[in-house]
Amino acid sequence: MSLWLRVNMFFRSFFLQAGWNYVKYQNLGFALVMLPFLRRLYRKDPEALHTVVNRYLEAFNTHPVMASFCFGAMARMEENIAQAHSVTDYKEQVAEWMGARRGLSITAASIGDRLFWGTLKPLTLLLAIFIWMLLGVNFLETEISEVPLSYALSAGAAAFFIYNAIAQFVRWEGLKIGYEADEKSCFGLTRFDWNRTIYNAKRIGIFCAAGLILFGVYRFLENKQPDIHFVARSILVLFFVIASFVTRRLRIPNVYLYLAAVIIFSTVCLI
Amino acid sequence: MTLPLILLCVFAALLELDTTYAFQTLLSRPIIAAPIFGWLTGDVAAGIQIGIFAELLFADVSPLGGIIPPSGVVASAVPLFLYVQGIELYFGFFLGVLGAVLYSFFDALLRKTRFKWLIFLEKRIGKKPSDITRIILITLLLSFLMSFVFISVLVWASSQLMFILYPYLPQQLHFSFRLAYMAVPWIGLAALIPIFRLKAR
Repeated sequence: MSLWLRVNMFFRSFFLQAGWNYVKYQNLGFALVMLPFLRRLYRKDPEALHTVVNRYLEAFNTHPVMASFCFGAMARMEENIAQAHSVTDYKEQVAEWMGARRGLSITAASIGDRLFWGTLKPLTLLLAIFIWMLLGVNFLETEISEVPLSYALSAGAAAFFIYNAIAQFVRWEGLKIGYEADEKSCFGLTRFDWNRTIYNAKRIGIFCAAGLILFGVYRFLENKQPDIHFVARSILVLFFVIASFVTRRLRIPNVYLYLAAVIIFSTVCLI
Repeated sequence: MTLPLILLCVFAALLELDTTYAFQTLLSRPIIAAPIFGWLTGDVAAGIQIGIFAELLFADVSPLGGIIPPSGVVASAVPLFLYVQGIELYFGFFLGVLGAVLYSFFDALLRKTRFKWLIFLEKRIGKKPSDITRIILITLLLSFLMSFVFISVLVWASSQLMFILYPYLPQQLHFSFRLAYMAVPWIGLAALIPIFRLKAR
């Protein structure tokens, strides 16, 4: 795969989800990413290109970053299909391509969801909060104090660059690895120990989250007189922490806990 | 609505594209989007607060499979656009969160209906593959327009509603909204531990 082709596919991969729908998911984006490669492969047979593109318009759904492994692997398998020397060989290659597309997209989605949505995104949130805390922002108080612009943007920028450094590296390398690797290495997915990476990142995350909660408790108790307001507020905070754990177990998102709290408080206060 | 507010809604709709349809660089996440909105509306500190609160509140919902989490851009933009018009953050945040949840239902509806016209366009791609770039651009443009209309209407309706109701709102309601707003970071912090829960390797 030439550098120009890789750059082209890499750039197009940012639009993988542009036509997301509930029937064929990312099929349009998948065809968009693969089109430059298919054009080059079938430049001597434009009629075949039409049939091939229809195959890429079938249902496809995976994680947008990890999808690059699928693009690389599908490109390599498409080369085998293009070189098929008989109808039977062609059919076998297409069946193999379809099986690999399905299997690889599911595996990549599973890794991507756990790594990027389940670990890296919350980890960069913690990083941003820690940076703001070091710069003197007390996020547990609702009173607003002046903050310089550089302070405000630095934490978000750090979260943005760290997330994207990892995500775009995986996106870029995934194309190459997926193209070069074979079925035995699960199209390059086994080159990285994803489970260990996720496990270690989660371990860091749990320590940071616990640290943040302890810091929150410290700031909450700091210089406070144990009067009726303080006790009432403590009970309320404790109630919400427990309620958050309970709603999590019941698979109810926290956002509904907040909306319910507003409605219940308003009703109680008005009565 | 004033011209600066319309321009802010255009910017918010462009950022909303980053959530799903283009790039996914997480520029649209509240901790990044809200300070930018805060800077544009003249109060960076309010932007940071809304950013942290919204992100912590939505931290337990991820876009796995077909799940559409509440929109971080809507939850960041609405409170800050209302705040600049003199409405307290605790009222704005409630309306923003409500709008963000509504936006996820709206987006789900769009994704369901999108297939009905995409099926015709797919046939066209089959005949002329080069059309796909144009179709993707049209899809992005439509998504942007839908987001812009949704955010603009929400900001306009919320501000009108607040301007009408505000003089009649009893102090008890201010107190209850502020109380729930104060609880948001704690609700979010409690959700962080289960997010990083270690499972068997």
